[in-house]
Amino acid sequence: MATIPSLHLPLVPRPAALASGASSRPLALRTTLSLRPIKVAGSRRMRPAVVAAVPESIEEKVVESIKQAEEVCAGGGTSGECAAAWDEVEELSAAKSHANDRKKGSDPLEEFCKDNPETDECRTYDN
Amino acid sequence: MGVCTTLHTAAAAPPCHLRGFYQHKQQVLFYRNTAYTPRCGRAHSAGLAVRCSGAAGETVVIGLAADSGCGKSTFMRRLTSVFGGAAEPPRGGNPDSNTLISDTTTVICLDDYHSLDRTGRKEKGVTALDPRANDFDLMYEQVKAIKEGKAVDKPIYNHVTGLLDQPELIKPPKILVIEGLHPMFDQRVRDLLDFSIYLDISNEVKFAWKIQRDMAERGHSLESIKASIEARKPDFDAYIDPQKQYADAVIEVLPTQLIPDDNEGKVLRVRLIMKEGVKNFAPVYLFDEGSTISWIPCGRKLTCSYPGIKFTYGPDTYYDHEVSVLEMDGQFDRLDELIYVESHLSNLSAKFYGEVTQQMLKHSDFPGSNNGTGLFQTIVGLKIRDLYEQIVAEGASSPLKATTTKA
Repeated sequence: MATIPSLHLPLVPRPAALASGASSRPLALRTTLSLRPIKVAGSRRMRPAVVAAVPESIEEKVVESIKQAEEVCAGGGTSGECAAAWDEVEELSAAKSHANDRKKGSDPLEEFCKDNPETDECRTYDN
Repeated sequence: MGVCTTLHTAAAAPPCHLRGFYQHKQQVLFYRNTAYTPRCGRAHSAGLAVRCSGAAGETVVIGLAADSGCGKSTFMRRLTSVFGGAAEPPRGGNPDSNTLISDTTTVICLDDYHSLDRTGRKEKGVTALDPRANDFDLMYEQVKAIKEGKAVDKPIYNHVTGLLDQPELIKPPKILVIEGLHPMFDQRVRDLLDFSIYLDISNEVKFAWKIQRDMAERGHSLESIKASIEARKPDFDAYIDPQKQYADAVIEVLPTQLIPDDNEGKVLRVRLIMKEGVKNFAPVYLFDEGSTISWIPCGRKLTCSYPGIKFTYGPDTYYDHEVSVLEMDGQFDRLDELIYVESHLSNLSAKFYGEVTQQMLKHSDFPGSNNGTGLFQTIVGLKIRDLYEQIVAEGASSPLKATTTKA
């Protein structure tokens, strides 16, 4: 996750920077990851790209943690260790479901307009 | 409260803003020529000791205890919506921050006060529910500081990586909500709370909700969900559950009694248990305060579909406290059922007729919008707003008296 904060530094996100940034992250196991959420106008899609990536890795973490918890509890670990392992499963499942909710609700245009309300695309006419 | 001075002639009169929240600004409190903004706890010139409230004074602190960590939970969204504005994570900060900020409210997740990160807890064999995994001293210090009007650097617990990230700056808001597993566990933190709520979900309902949440995900099976609940149960019963005796309001969610042998968990029986004698909090009641009522609104004036709606209200004792319990079993199918029910409830602290219905409709996509969970969460939100306004009014009505600050 160390490289992810660096993605927020460039103030003018460019498609080239986005593509190279996404593929250089160690967690992007598949190169299609960077292209997935971006169907509409190419630039300024930093945030959705980051959000889309995380649920993938959380899902794998959830699967792994369940396997681990089952091993620890079956393999005669202490009850404290077993409880801690299942607690981790619970924490990761909750994080996954919150990430899902966030992803479901996010509209790329709304996200952009929240940060840049003065641009032409985001002007609203209320009268 | 109109607090404009009348020293000026009409022609030269400065615009006098009588909006709803004007009394929260410090300028309102002063009629003397020395124009200074008060900060609570500091010595003042002219020998005035001022007890402040609202924006730059004492922040109103609400505690919410609920299982399974924090996040953009439905209750928080309803609550912040009652105050106006949407609560969002701090812009430009850590994307995995658990904090939510709106114009009036800041919501802090108490998982940020974990003293052990995920690896640390695994090594020691403790769950996040265990008090040993949490730094209550830091929690108390920071909540106290925010309450007194000072900004703090609060740590961030990243739920994805399981690590403690760099701290983020939290500025004191008008209302601070601390949400998590242990808001009422530590006595000192408990004493800082102006109001506290506990969400008590029964085991069957918890199981049904976790199945709905997790079964579609890879890796989970019925057994793993069951095992996860069972493994956490001892710590939950020992450390989290006892907090409900300290709560001013408990929202208890149980399986319905209207459908025999129901195991889907879609229809819920929800009880709002309200402590009597809490300052600035008047419990909601049905028809006649203090009596025992059983009410089925469906009948000639209102047609409901199966299984209908049933309300009960009455006084009771809960962990040796006097309480009033308002209970709803069933679900709303239509708007007119909701408004009909609202028109028969009293002491809702709504600003206009139909406000509860309006809030429920605003968030009809939230879970629980058609049953007692959404209804009671919305009502508690209105009660908190009422409590906040009363606290602010108290502070503003005694601005020039020397008062003792809360030690």
